[in-house]
Amino acid sequence: MAELVPPPDEALVAASLAGDEAAFAELVTRYKRRVFAAAARFARDDHQLDDIAQEIFLRAFRHLGKFRGDAPFEHWLARIIVSACYDFLRKERRVREQVSLEGTEWDMRDAGIDAALAAGRARELVHWALSKLPADEQLIITLAELEERPMRQIAELTGWSESNVKVRAFRARQNLKKILETTHER
Amino acid sequence: MNDNFDQKLDALLAAARATAPDTARAEFAFETRLAARLRAENSGSLFAWAWRLCPFFAALALAVGWWSHTAERTETVSPLVAEVAPANDEQLLVAYMTGDRR
Repeated sequence: MAELVPPPDEALVAASLAGDEAAFAELVTRYKRRVFAAAARFARDDHQLDDIAQEIFLRAFRHLGKFRGDAPFEHWLARIIVSACYDFLRKERRVREQVSLEGTEWDMRDAGIDAALAAGRARELVHWALSKLPADEQLIITLAELEERPMRQIAELTGWSESNVKVRAFRARQNLKKILETTHER
Repeated sequence: MNDNFDQKLDALLAAARATAPDTARAEFAFETRLAARLRAENSGSLFAWAWRLCPFFAALALAVGWWSHTAERTETVSPLVAEVAPANDEQLLVAYMTGDRR
């Protein structure tokens, strides 16, 4: 008995462009796990996570006509993910500047790295420390250190030159260290 | 001390990498929410486009009004032209009857 072969991404894109909503829904189902995993590195809660994921797929839908199929759909979507997350970080930074979130920040920040590791709250401490950095540095630390992507790939995803990415990554790590050192020394 | 802290930072980042956030709750019924937003955006964008096109349609209405006004003025065909154009027999007849043309 012949198995039903799922349609390739390119066919789903073409069908979506022709107005087939179900085809786009299939693309969403196929990639939502990946999108949520990436967006979760930046979001503070489920509400923000949902917002970022929706924004990513909305952008993908709006620019579907620009997908030429010379690279896999996944790569094309990865660039949209990075650009949407970067925009989110910049917006979030502006909000943070206007509204003080001191009272709602991580409650174990005074305890430092050892305590966070012992409590299994490393992700929370990293998230808190990252929120103190500018948007570009948050993005680069996430891509380089948390997702362990090579510099060349980060350059492709962000549109920055490879040397620029290296400089930013070095500076971002230094700044992250400074933030964590101050909490660690308390 | 600095190397020591670098190691600590690496350990922290490795631990953060290892704990993948649970997104199952946020993923629930995501397609439905997204489809609703897409529909809302599409209807919203149509409405926005309609508003954006308002000045264009206003200008078009003015242009058509001006054109029809000037066209009315030049509608009367001179007897000479009426004679040349075979479709204007009636006007030619009127011109003969009124004495404009002998």
